[in-house]
Amino acid sequence: MLEIRELRKRFAGGSDAPGGKVALDGIGFSVRPGEMFGFVGANGAGKTTTMRIVMGVLQADSGSVSWQDRPLGADARQRFGYMPEERGLYQKMRVAEQIEYFGRLHGLSAPAAKKATDDLLERLGLTERRADAVQALSLGNQQRVQLAVALVHEPEVLVLDEPFSGLDPIAVDALATALQERCRGGVPVIFSSHQLELVERLCDSVGIVSAGRMVATGTVAELRAAEGDTLRVVVRDPAPGWADGLPGTVSVQGERHTLRTTGGDDQEILRRAMKAGHVEHFGVEQPTLTEIFKEAVA
Amino acid sequence: MNGLMLVARREIATQIRTRAFVIGLVVTVLLVSVVSFLPKIMGGGGDSYTLGLVNSQQLPLQTAAPDIGFEWRTYADEAAARQAVLDGDVDAALVDGARVLTDGEIDAQLGVLLQSVNREFKLGAAGVAIPPLEMRSVGADTRYESARQGVATVLVFLLFMLLMGQMVMVAMGVVEEKGSRIVEILLASVRPWQLLGGKILGLGVVGLINLVAILVVGLGAASVSGLAADFPPGMAGLMVSVLVWFVLGYAFFATLSAALASLVSRQEEVSSVLTPLTMMIMATYFVSFYVLNEPSGLLASVLSYVPPFSAMVMPVRMAAAEVPMWQTAASMAVMALAVLVVLKLGSTVYERAVLRTGARLKFGEVLRAR
Ligand SMILES: Nc1ncnc2c1ncn2[C@@H]1O[C@H](COP(=O)(O)OP(=O)(O)OP(=O)(O)O)[C@@H](O)[C@H]1O
Ligand SMILES: [Mg+2]
Repeated sequence: MLEIRELRKRFAGGSDAPGGKVALDGIGFSVRPGEMFGFVGANGAGKTTTMRIVMGVLQADSGSVSWQDRPLGADARQRFGYMPEERGLYQKMRVAEQIEYFGRLHGLSAPAAKKATDDLLERLGLTERRADAVQALSLGNQQRVQLAVALVHEPEVLVLDEPFSGLDPIAVDALATALQERCRGGVPVIFSSHQLELVERLCDSVGIVSAGRMVATGTVAELRAAEGDTLRVVVRDPAPGWADGLPGTVSVQGERHTLRTTGGDDQEILRRAMKAGHVEHFGVEQPTLTEIFKEAVA
Repeated sequence: MNGLMLVARREIATQIRTRAFVIGLVVTVLLVSVVSFLPKIMGGGGDSYTLGLVNSQQLPLQTAAPDIGFEWRTYADEAAARQAVLDGDVDAALVDGARVLTDGEIDAQLGVLLQSVNREFKLGAAGVAIPPLEMRSVGADTRYESARQGVATVLVFLLFMLLMGQMVMVAMGVVEEKGSRIVEILLASVRPWQLLGGKILGLGVVGLINLVAILVVGLGAASVSGLAADFPPGMAGLMVSVLVWFVLGYAFFATLSAALASLVSRQEEVSSVLTPLTMMIMATYFVSFYVLNEPSGLLASVLSYVPPFSAMVMPVRMAAAEVPMWQTAASMAVMALAVLVVLKLGSTVYERAVLRTGARLKFGEVLRAR
């Protein structure tokens, strides 16, 4: 299990923030083998900082990261796969050589690195481009190479910072499938994303971070249960002021009025709605991750 | 260690495949061979004589003066020989083993040679053996002064070019990795010292390949062209110590160069951030040139112990004059110490700065931070 405990990080401030800027204020969560963990939060919430600390490219001021019950060190980290937020490859190096090189840096023998590279190129549809310099590839294809670099050594843990950004819908599906395969093989996967539907669809559990703190963690179902279901009622052309005194909020689109509420007497609401106009929809809905997210960071 | 070797190997493989490397190597090698043959081409003919013979035996001139070329031509009679002298076919003609014909006054060196060898030859024939005089200088050994000066000039220039060139390569490589952010995935799999050390090692090997190629071609061409005959003794030792000095000087400058380069994120900023280092190398170069004129002077002696000046001044001193072994060793030890300090300092700065992309950082601030 990968465990992140109480990470704190303050960046030295410039002239604008003399006291420094607190980026992480006690971040903690854990990811089990075979679990896909979605890491979400507003811009500047601290996702990238957390992942960089996990990968050892940044030092935390305090807190700890452990893997399989031991403090995470350079040796174990060498078997992790990492895709940083700011992508980076040797632009002039050839695709296959580059993937092989990273395989070797992660501890593979030369033949193993070569074989893993060939397999990955095949699976990512890059076999024809293997001898091209990276700079000759389109951005999407460069991103695939970046992914290959993170996957070449069959990592024990995957840490991916916004791996889906910039991909077309087909590439998104391909990447999702690749991640799910690794996950089924028992690899814990952490990825950050702003595409919440995707996170909702793929992830077993989700962590919501806001201003350097975890504001919610758990499975999507748990977060939903905590949030509570929403009653949604759509009434066409109701009498003005029909919802006065009812709980929740009303939004108006043309002649359609939509009432959303998480509490109140549903039967009373239905009666009022039927009296006010033509009821087009009446139902209980689970909150989407987007709604949970907005609620949590509000 | 493995990570360091992998990084170094990538650097070497990438460098020696570039056109710049191949062209650079070919051009320098050509240049060095031309320089080695130049004295021969320029001074051609000065040190060889064509001699005519009429009714006489060849004198053992070659034994007396092994550096000079002699060619003998035999003529039927004195008239033919006289004509050959007047036509300039021969420099002088020996007639009946008793007279020498020349066109005008005889070349002084040739005259002395002919007189003394002839005397010795005749005495030898009469059974008198004369042991040759033993020449011994009680002052400085000045026999090879001009050759030493030449060798030292070439060495200083070589060291300067290679140190400067490889130092800039290191800086550009560091900025390439930092600017493209690839350093983040690199540092997720290797330690900063492995990445830094591997780069310095790899580019150092590329520099050594250049240096060794130049030295080998230079010495080879010099011995083919005959220039090597003028070389002072101990050339092999000198070459080996030049390699050691290159390694020390390179480690010093390349480490500082990497540290300075890690402060910036764009290639355009490399030359400005390297300015202090470039000045330092230039100063070292000029001082070494000055030392060439007075290799045993006070300035030379002092600076040959002061890093980084010693990296060029000491090899110049060694080439231009004789330097006791212990002095070389002491100077190398001081330089090695300086390299260790610079390695510590440089790797600290590099480690802290290389992930901080964006605006240019300050060396001192990075060093003091935390
Ligand atoms: N090198 C740095 N120096 C100073 N402040 C930093 C640095 N890196 C991050 N920060 C600050 O730390 C906070 C967290 O940043 P971080 O990049 O982790 O956010 P994020 O959740 O990844 O955001 P995004 O969704 O935009 O990628 C931000 O306020 C950011 O300005
Ligand atoms: Mg981020």
